Amino acid sequence: MSVMKLSIGPQHPISAHFRFLLDVDGDVVLKLEPDIGYTHRGIEKLAEKRTYLQNLPVIERVNSYCDSAGTMLGYLEAIEEVMGLKVPERAKYLRVIAAELNRIASHLYAASLFSVATGLETMLMWTINDRELILDLLERLTGQRITYTYQTIGGVRFDMPDGFKEEALKRLDYLEKRTEDYYKMLLWNHTFQIRARKVGILKPSDAIKLGIVGPNLRASGVRADVRKDEPYEVYDKFDFSIPTGKNGDSYDRLEVRFKEVEQSIQILRQAIKDIPKGPIKKWTQPIVPQGEAYTRVEAARGEFGYYLVSDGTMKPYRLKITPPSFRNLIALPHLCRNVPLGDIPIIYISLDLIPMDVDR
Amino acid sequence: MILGLSFPQLIELILKVLIFPGLAFPLLFAMIVIWFERKFLARIMLRIGPLHVGPINRTGLFQPIADFLKLIQKEIIVPDNANKFLYNIAPIIAALVASLSVAFIPYALKPDGSYWVIYYTPLSLLVILAIFTARPFIMVAAGWASNSKYCTIGAIRAALQLLAYEVPIALSLASIVIMSGTFDLAKIVEAQSSIWFIIFQPIGFIVILIAMMAELSRRPFDIPFAEQEVVFGWPTEYTGAQFALIMVSEYFDLCAVTSLITVLFLGGWSGPAIPLLNDISPILSGIFWFLLKMAILTVIIIMGRGIYPRLRIDQLLDAGWSVLIPLAITQIIITLLTAQWWLPLVGGV
Amino acid sequence: MTDKSTEELVVDSVKAKFPEDVIDAKVQRKNRVSISVRGNKIYDIGLFLRDELGFDHIASVSGIDYIDAKEFEVIYYVWSMDKKVLVGLRTKIPRDNPTLKSLVDVWEGGLYHEREIWEMFGIKFEGHPNLSLLLLPEDWDGPPPLRKDFVLPETHQERLEEKIKKLSGG
Repeated sequence: MSVMKLSIGPQHPISAHFRFLLDVDGDVVLKLEPDIGYTHRGIEKLAEKRTYLQNLPVIERVNSYCDSAGTMLGYLEAIEEVMGLKVPERAKYLRVIAAELNRIASHLYAASLFSVATGLETMLMWTINDRELILDLLERLTGQRITYTYQTIGGVRFDMPDGFKEEALKRLDYLEKRTEDYYKMLLWNHTFQIRARKVGILKPSDAIKLGIVGPNLRASGVRADVRKDEPYEVYDKFDFSIPTGKNGDSYDRLEVRFKEVEQSIQILRQAIKDIPKGPIKKWTQPIVPQGEAYTRVEAARGEFGYYLVSDGTMKPYRLKITPPSFRNLIALPHLCRNVPLGDIPIIYISLDLIPMDVDR
Repeated sequence: MILGLSFPQLIELILKVLIFPGLAFPLLFAMIVIWFERKFLARIMLRIGPLHVGPINRTGLFQPIADFLKLIQKEIIVPDNANKFLYNIAPIIAALVASLSVAFIPYALKPDGSYWVIYYTPLSLLVILAIFTARPFIMVAAGWASNSKYCTIGAIRAALQLLAYEVPIALSLASIVIMSGTFDLAKIVEAQSSIWFIIFQPIGFIVILIAMMAELSRRPFDIPFAEQEVVFGWPTEYTGAQFALIMVSEYFDLCAVTSLITVLFLGGWSGPAIPLLNDISPILSGIFWFLLKMAILTVIIIMGRGIYPRLRIDQLLDAGWSVLIPLAITQIIITLLTAQWWLPLVGGV
Repeated sequence: MTDKSTEELVVDSVKAKFPEDVIDAKVQRKNRVSISVRGNKIYDIGLFLRDELGFDHIASVSGIDYIDAKEFEVIYYVWSMDKKVLVGLRTKIPRDNPTLKSLVDVWEGGLYHEREIWEMFGIKFEGHPNLSLLLLPEDWDGPPPLRKDFVLPETHQERLEEKIKKLSGG
């Protein structure tokens, strides 16, 4: 059979808002080229025309439905670094709580997409169901389920409501038990292992060379996490470990995500226990002096890089956002060479690329 | 005397063709199984399933009927460059072929010694095997006639899968034929009057159950149907009543397959007589046991959808060729070698 | 005399190897080093950073339009796993005819980053395998959007309005 050009387009059950151009020979994919830009909103240009405070909802929409709390942290840290602003302790703890809850929700979402890609709809329903618990908690804390605009320049906007601590601890205990269910039902499912093991193996040297970040990098065995390398907020006060995988295949990428959920539960327990009393916001007019800063935060999908250049006015001169999915995108053509057609959804979903992240 | 039949025989024929096991039975089976599958899988997935449409509150019993009515009033779209004849006729033939097998399976034993079957032939097992072999052609015709890359890929995969799994089916049928000595389905049931064949041939039972799940394209073998890479496989371009026919023909197939396995391995209609039903008519208790066994098999086949992910096409073909065929051959060898122990227990030979 | 920190050691080794091409190399804060070089030597310095000093994980490539000074600045941010230092390798190029040697051979992960800078700023990277539109629509013919003097071109706006009119039925 001659080489067929297949286009898995933006309207497709598995590709979210990406388009892939495949060269298929029989059942083997020879080459894959991603065609991105379907959700490009020009956020970097928009950010230059708005003040720092007006930019908060805009920056959050870089990755709104999965991980908005993690996305915001980098922008705020950049501003605070250039301004030299010190955030109150309680606000830092609250920011970490929101970010870690978001990380759990985002990993559950990634697991649900993975189950859909392999055809196990049961786990789609279970993970989305459990994600609802987390979103409910976040709604109590911030007032919104998905895009919070909770963290602001100098702190956070709302304080923890009464009864939040007990409710959160209860739900975290439930989630910890549930993770065992997920191991038995999804990860140790024999058919799932046949599908996901040895598929899309990313060697650690390749991963570092290509600039891969996040759970994808850690699944290949490289122990790199911004929370440990360059601790920001109050991450240096918590006791947690960085899970890594052994082989770098798709199964490991999912297993690392589940292990990170367990670690996030540990961090959350410590944060809820140790949170000090105090103010939650140090409000000043965000007049940022001239300067620049590059901050890195660890969102759920990897490292978010924010490069801010300010010229002393109320609006940023240049804000460059480097999302983790944009950096992970290059792994996709690298891994999808000479693989069976049935492996393409598995590899793509295991890398956890979010089109909004990639396009900004 | 019409068609060489007396009046009571004519009434019986009309009953058989129209009600059971004729037109109404596979349709009713499909409706009930679709409802049950949606509710059952919903509970596995921690959901509720259909709720509102139906007479009993919060059960959604008529949901399949509502879906069917919705589908048949939609516009039928034929793609421009499609082969119109094949495209339009493929769903009809799919439904026909699927329900054709039901005509040859005996469902009960009448008190006068004959069988409750639409058309009695001493070669009914061979006929049914031949009908199953025709199924891949329909899929390839429909997929090719749709003139779309996705459909072509889906149709080829469907054909590969079904052809690969027909061999284990034929082999386990062969070991049943060895044990019972006849191709006649009714005589096979009679041969199980003392012990069901599943006790003698457990390996054969497992082989045919798995192979039939692949033939029906049920998860974990549903690559032809619901594939994430190729949208929906060979029936992608069908809408409206044609889509409804294709979906319902899958359940007609399920009806035929579970009836077949019940006859071959689970003793058909044999079971203790139920006094209440026997008062109405002596064949009703046989039909009751038959339906009960079909129901158990249906539940087992449906459960696979909630538990297993999908296999990749080469892993699937690998399982068919290198695992199931040796198992089936092992079953034949065991059957042949242990002949002296089971021969006296098989009745009616 | 305290030991020099890792960042200072990096700065010193780069300055020692390329004394006349490094315009400015300094430690910005903990884990951050900024090295400003001439545009024609950025490839060699990049190779030195990768091979000798172990900076092999590219983090980001960013472009800035300094319209008043009439120049672009391109910054390559690279991270080193064991040193835990982020180096910002920056160079300024003139705004009229901006070209730069592509560093895709040095850091393969910069493939899409450089492509995006080309389409957003108009900076041509020589040696890049595929400089084509990445995020913008396929029929984009206007100026690079992220420049400070960007105005949505009249022709593009008119074409857009025509398309919208045609799609909504005249």
